[in-house]
Amino acid sequence: MADLADTSFSGRALHRRTFLRVAGATAASSALVLAGCGKDDDPTVTDVGTGTLVFAANDTGILNLTYLLAQISASFYQKVVTTPPADFTAADTAACVDMRDHEVIYRELYKSVLGPNPQTGAYDNGLATALEFNFTPYTLTTRAGVYAAARTLEDIGVGAYNGLGRRLRNGSYLRLLLKITSVKARHAAFVRDQAEPDSFAGSDVITQTGNQAGLDTIKTPVEVAKSLASLVPVVLVADNLMLL
Amino acid sequence: MDFLNLLARLADLDSTSAAPQPAAPRRAALGQLGQASTALLPGLLLSALGQPATAGTLDTRTRLDVLLLVRQLAALDNELHSRALGLVPGYPALPLTATEKAGIQVIQQQEVQRIALFSQLIVDGGATLPATPRYDFTGSKNGTQAALYPNIQTNPDAYLLVAQVIKDAAVRVYKSQVDFVRSDIYLTETLLRTHSAEARHAAHLRTLRRQRGVVVKSWVSPDDAAVPATSAAITRVYEGESSSIQTYNISDANGQLGALVSVPFDSTLPINVATPPLSPEAILRKVAEAFDEPAEAVVATNVAALFTY
Repeated sequence: MADLADTSFSGRALHRRTFLRVAGATAASSALVLAGCGKDDDPTVTDVGTGTLVFAANDTGILNLTYLLAQISASFYQKVVTTPPADFTAADTAACVDMRDHEVIYRELYKSVLGPNPQTGAYDNGLATALEFNFTPYTLTTRAGVYAAARTLEDIGVGAYNGLGRRLRNGSYLRLLLKITSVKARHAAFVRDQAEPDSFAGSDVITQTGNQAGLDTIKTPVEVAKSLASLVPVVLVADNLMLL
Repeated sequence: MDFLNLLARLADLDSTSAAPQPAAPRRAALGQLGQASTALLPGLLLSALGQPATAGTLDTRTRLDVLLLVRQLAALDNELHSRALGLVPGYPALPLTATEKAGIQVIQQQEVQRIALFSQLIVDGGATLPATPRYDFTGSKNGTQAALYPNIQTNPDAYLLVAQVIKDAAVRVYKSQVDFVRSDIYLTETLLRTHSAEARHAAHLRTLRRQRGVVVKSWVSPDDAAVPATSAAITRVYEGESSSIQTYNISDANGQLGALVSVPFDSTLPINVATPPLSPEAILRKVAEAFDEPAEAVVATNVAALFTY
């Protein structure tokens, strides 16, 4: 079974002469893991009623996680746009309106792709009211606070998307994900530059040394769930996505 | 599962996928099969990959092609920024502010890091690194034709425009290359992580240009001032970016692709949340902004060709 704490595939050391073997070897080893787990048979996506949101080990589980990410970001920027900090400029507001609109578009895209089925569609299809997200860990009353929070959220998004891409089976979903990933990365670079000039690709997101130097952040689904835990009123269980 | 059964499933996967497929249906089929069996996989991979690729109108590339391409783009970028920073003999630094310079240095150093990574992967795979190209960022091909950007080595605005175009092109092209490496988890992740880093760079360059007075957002927008059409290659970098149409194939729990669906941004999706609501045309411009469109490799290599001789 895969180690759930494992950070990423590209995080593992790649030794000389292993390059050509990587494709065959990894396909075989992932297949071993998958064969032992009977993936994709369980349509259960969520049981929010018990306060737990379990992501299924398939594309639906992945898209429910990206759906949740978009919901959180849309809600965040909506909050900022509704009650902007006193030191926000017109340009700040315009940018946050753009990002709010982009995130609403992602949210509704994912909801539409997932479909209305309460079991196999969007996780909140069966909920009477949508989840409410908690942004109290952030200071949203100052420009600096808003951009620091946005930086955290956007970097989680970029890391999550980079980690989820290879786990998707449906290639057309992957293409959509890639179209969104780069815009999320543009958001991240913009808000980072606002929080601190020239930090768009800082050393906390771009690896600086070793054989991953120059590569952007990547997060496993479990790491993403952990990063979002304080914002979401249910327990996120992304272990199944680690099997993909 | 026996070997004949596996082959039958492979044939089945290939013949039942009527919906538009990624450029390499054979590769996708292998990916699905890879999750069905392990013992026979190495042999199956070898035999299947030994067959000639299906001919088609779509671009197809090997993993080596992809690595050579991304290395070529990183080297182009590194040279452009190195010259702007005054790191290349014979090219005095551009009059950038200290803050601008610090950001450009970040981009340039990360290109160097990725050139090293891609070079190592190419060499470790048994291939040879191509010779370093000769660059002329004025686009004059070393003075043999009229320059496209005659003041690029002296004017920061000209330089930043070209830098943005090269980055935006790379972001688009990286997306299409992922299709060709999907069977390789390591390369897929490496490409994804390069792709988002490039998008960060692109956004920063756009932010710099906006701070210098250009009408341009940090994300590609229909509201951006048009990039001057100095050549067909430059124009093509933004072709199709204003599309507000997104499609996908539905799939079942096993990943089998079904019908092509268009996302109903223009009709039923409740995406127009502004107060007061945007016009139908304006909200679709936001949809166009929210997605960076993929482009084939030739979009970036044509731009690279403008600046090499």
